[in-house]
Amino acid sequence: MEKVKLLYEGKAKRVYSTPEEDKFIIEFKDTATAFDGLKKADISGKGEANCIISSKIFELLTIKGIKNHYIKRLSEREMLVKSVKIFPIEVIIRNRVAGSMAKRLGLDVGKELERPVLEFCYKSDELHDPMINEDHILALNLATEEELKTIKEMSLETNKILIEFFRKCHLELVDMKFEFGKDSQGNIYLADEISPDTCRLWELGTTTSWDKDRFRKDLGGVEEAYREVKERVINTPIDSKARIFIRLKPSILDAQGSVILNALKSLGFNEVIEVRVGKLLELKMDRKVDEPERIERMCRELLANPVMEDYEWEWIE
Amino acid sequence: MNFGIVVFPGTNCDRDCYYVIRDILNQPVKFIWHRENDLKGIDCVVLPGGFSYGDYLRAGAIARFSPIMSSVREFADKGGLVIGICNGFQILTEAGLLPGALGRNRSLRFICRYVNLIIERNDTPFTSEFEKGEIVRMPIAHNEGNYYIDDLSKVEKQVVLRYYGENPNGALDNIAGIVNERGNVFGLMPHPERCSEKILGSEDGLRIFKSIVRSL
Repeated sequence: MEKVKLLYEGKAKRVYSTPEEDKFIIEFKDTATAFDGLKKADISGKGEANCIISSKIFELLTIKGIKNHYIKRLSEREMLVKSVKIFPIEVIIRNRVAGSMAKRLGLDVGKELERPVLEFCYKSDELHDPMINEDHILALNLATEEELKTIKEMSLETNKILIEFFRKCHLELVDMKFEFGKDSQGNIYLADEISPDTCRLWELGTTTSWDKDRFRKDLGGVEEAYREVKERVINTPIDSKARIFIRLKPSILDAQGSVILNALKSLGFNEVIEVRVGKLLELKMDRKVDEPERIERMCRELLANPVMEDYEWEWIE
Repeated sequence: MNFGIVVFPGTNCDRDCYYVIRDILNQPVKFIWHRENDLKGIDCVVLPGGFSYGDYLRAGAIARFSPIMSSVREFADKGGLVIGICNGFQILTEAGLLPGALGRNRSLRFICRYVNLIIERNDTPFTSEFEKGEIVRMPIAHNEGNYYIDDLSKVEKQVVLRYYGENPNGALDNIAGIVNERGNVFGLMPHPERCSEKILGSEDGLRIFKSIVRSL
């Protein structure tokens, strides 16, 4: 899949169209900005780290049933995604007090919240992404009530999954920012990226930053932080299961199926007109890589005989 | 002519092949355990019938990963003669050394009986002792002999043996045995080693081994 046209260039990413209308390619840049673009620098290796981290996290979310725009990673800094129309809303979810919340409410940084706090901002560079509430969203038609409900549910569920995942990476998920989009059928997908640029991550049990705050606050070790998070994310296994179905190709007579069909008919189940028998395999994996193509290869190279069998597979919880 | 008979866990026609080659044809022959990888000095590799690795997943699917199979592939690439009988045929298709696949018999039953076969080609190193169009008798004994390929035209010229009269297992176009394009790898469902002495009811199988010996 090749890039056709640059559609959008943001602070940290470029988005390209592809020969397929429903797919975009996102390219991750090394550039970082903070404080509304007042501070800007290149962080070597950041684009690669964010692309790899985001890919693995999107994979995990797919396995856990959170619809997201990720299709696959194409290179160290490019990923193929579904083309979705982004809602002009930033969703922020907080587990501990930090950043603007600490400032606004005069709270101690690091205070644990009784429950996750959702905040919404209106995406607008000129207005500096002002905070809005649900009524604004509905009154200004930024999303419908149904869409907002889905966005909130997906945000909370994603937060739960990622708190647990980052804990396995020995990181505390303090807060993070989401963007959502929808496809032409109106399906809602989690979009953008999930990386140290969009998440506040602290060394578990401390307030040591492993995220963009190192850049924002000039804490030093910025490149190392992205690299460290990347390494931890890559090396943290995602327990996953794939279910593989293998059956004879439709062009092949399924003798077992015919016998079973006759048995069903003899019991009076005359509505059945065809039975195809197949094999079901469940693979439990300790995946350290984000490549669904590996399962395709397992199917093609061993599990199914492509001469006479078709296969399908899916992630299972 | 030096024969090497590969033995997988579950192979059970190895001794019969050995007997025919050594005691009837007086040719040098040895067993090659599937963990080995040395085919030095071998002129013809025999993948005998039986089972391999319990035939888990599909018949022949796991055997193809045995160390000896990489050597067999190299051997075949260099033009060495390879004959796969029954499970050996299944292994050759799974390994991609022969086209197509062998699915479950249409009757869903294990079939063990004599069948009639027509010799479609006698220009191979495995069938030179036959006349083209000759009808011969050999026993089959298998559960997965239902030959299938998506496009029959791909192998039309490679068919060496067809079931004659009745099709016992549903094999596409009655295919019972095929060679690769080059003609040095042969797979067949019937068991020639089980019909190589008069006392067993037919000597047609012996002619396959004789053809191989004659080819060199």
